[in-house]
Amino acid sequence: MNLVQLNLKEAVELVRKGELLAEDLVRAYVKHIESLDNRIKAYLTYNFDRALERAREIDRKPSKGKLAGAVIAVKDNIVTKGLRTTCASRLLENFIPPYDATVVERLEAEDAIIIGKTNLDEFAMGSSTENSAFFPTRNPWDLERVPGGSSGGSAAAVAAYEAMAALGSDTGGSVRQPAAFCGVVGLKPTYGRVSRYGLVAFASSLDQIGPLTRSVEDSALLTMVISGFDRRDATSSSEPVPDYMAKLGERLESKKVGVLAASELKGIEEEVAANYFAVVDKLKELGFEVEEMSFPSWEYALPCYYIIAPSEASSNLARYDGVRYGLRVEANSLAEMYLKTRTVGFGSEVKRRILLGTFALSSGYYEAFYAKAARARQVITREFTAAFEKVDFILTPTTPEPAFKLGEIQDPISMYLQDYFTVSASLAGVPAISIPSGLSSEGLPLGLQVIGRPFMEDKLLNFVFLLEKKLEFKNNISEIIKYQRKEEE
Amino acid sequence: MKIDLEHVCRLANLELTEEEKLPISLQMEKIVEWVSQLARLETGTEERYSPVDFSLRMEEDQVQPSLPQEEVLALAPEKEGDFIKVPKVLTGK
Repeated sequence: MNLVQLNLKEAVELVRKGELLAEDLVRAYVKHIESLDNRIKAYLTYNFDRALERAREIDRKPSKGKLAGAVIAVKDNIVTKGLRTTCASRLLENFIPPYDATVVERLEAEDAIIIGKTNLDEFAMGSSTENSAFFPTRNPWDLERVPGGSSGGSAAAVAAYEAMAALGSDTGGSVRQPAAFCGVVGLKPTYGRVSRYGLVAFASSLDQIGPLTRSVEDSALLTMVISGFDRRDATSSSEPVPDYMAKLGERLESKKVGVLAASELKGIEEEVAANYFAVVDKLKELGFEVEEMSFPSWEYALPCYYIIAPSEASSNLARYDGVRYGLRVEANSLAEMYLKTRTVGFGSEVKRRILLGTFALSSGYYEAFYAKAARARQVITREFTAAFEKVDFILTPTTPEPAFKLGEIQDPISMYLQDYFTVSASLAGVPAISIPSGLSSEGLPLGLQVIGRPFMEDKLLNFVFLLEKKLEFKNNISEIIKYQRKEEE
Repeated sequence: MKIDLEHVCRLANLELTEEEKLPISLQMEKIVEWVSQLARLETGTEERYSPVDFSLRMEEDQVQPSLPQEEVLALAPEKEGDFIKVPKVLTGK
């Protein structure tokens, strides 16, 4: 067996017991990435030399961390000391951060190894990774299709066995949607659960870092390591972090699940709806109490999100002015330098969002747009609070359709509709996870989203751990190996 | 809805290229119209700006190391001594 086929938990156990060298694992990944990534294009920067060096250090350690030998890819909007961090933008093309994000520090403190930085939509704005200023990433299930976004590089890397697991960031669905498109597990933890120190800010009241993995167990293990209070993030929570691994497989205390009525799934692809209701039927067979629910405010969640997120982005991205770091376009005056640097440095989608946000916050429009959206956010949040008084989990499809083709969606609004099922949980700050739930007739992965109560990641993970076993989703390793053979021929 | 895109661009310190101007202006109008449907939602509530209802945490002042000055200055596109250099602020126009 190729070592890259080991899941994170299995590999770490072998390394910790001294039955497998971290160096051998890293070498296996380097070889696999080198033979495959010219087609998938999941990575923007490789970190092979340092990864091998780290592996040798870990192999020499008598006592090894919880993630010893874990080969992890990191989305390129999470800063890594001494390792280029671009946000897939021309503006930061040559930016080498002088510090590590808290999540990176925490991974490395447990002896995980960063293998490289993954592609994304510029500044995490997009749903297909086509907005990367450098190149698009391909979906490992079908190279003609997008991996989703914005954490498309991370999802593709995990699905193509180019990493054991990856970190992504999720503002309106950017971990969950690519996870669904690539047939992997993607968790957006509760807002405040994971420190964002060192995550390049997009929309600060929504951004959250989360893991993309090949199994629920691996998700629990990674989430446990990266979660917890950090004084460097003012929104980080001091809620204690339970042992997520220990809770997996525990008997579920309650079996109440909220599901969407068929009428709520109008307009989405039939296969997606059919797959969703098949899962619901399975839950009933398993003895779950299934309650049909409706969420009248969800219809407004996307417009609400597309006012709030761009507004915050317009403020957060004001820092890119060519003064202290990143791209600078020479000019005769300071004001002209700001203008030229931003005009040359940002791509069209980023410009669209900055302009939209600036408009929504501008004098004369603030009340009708930004303030109205902030009130809508409260309505959406209250709807969740009311729903969680009746049920423990809410199930939805993760996306309205499986992965689409590169270039297929040109209209910005059609692209924004990709986030239909994912934005509500972001606006309310509640945890949500996408797990693979089957394949379409064309052989593309479909995703199921499960939303839980704030800070109840332990229960959420335990529930999807059970579902994962019952759904018996098969990965595509045989296909991946086929690409690789073609490449070698 | 008609948007004064030039004004918004000035506020955002952005310029659109000739190729961007027409498509972005049309897309912006469509997007603003699309998000305007929010007006139909009954919102008799207060505004919510963050998912957490937190009050600012107080903490003792502690002296902690900051990033080394030379490492941070090394990132600047242009510098002079220990300063980041920028083009003229006042152009005498």
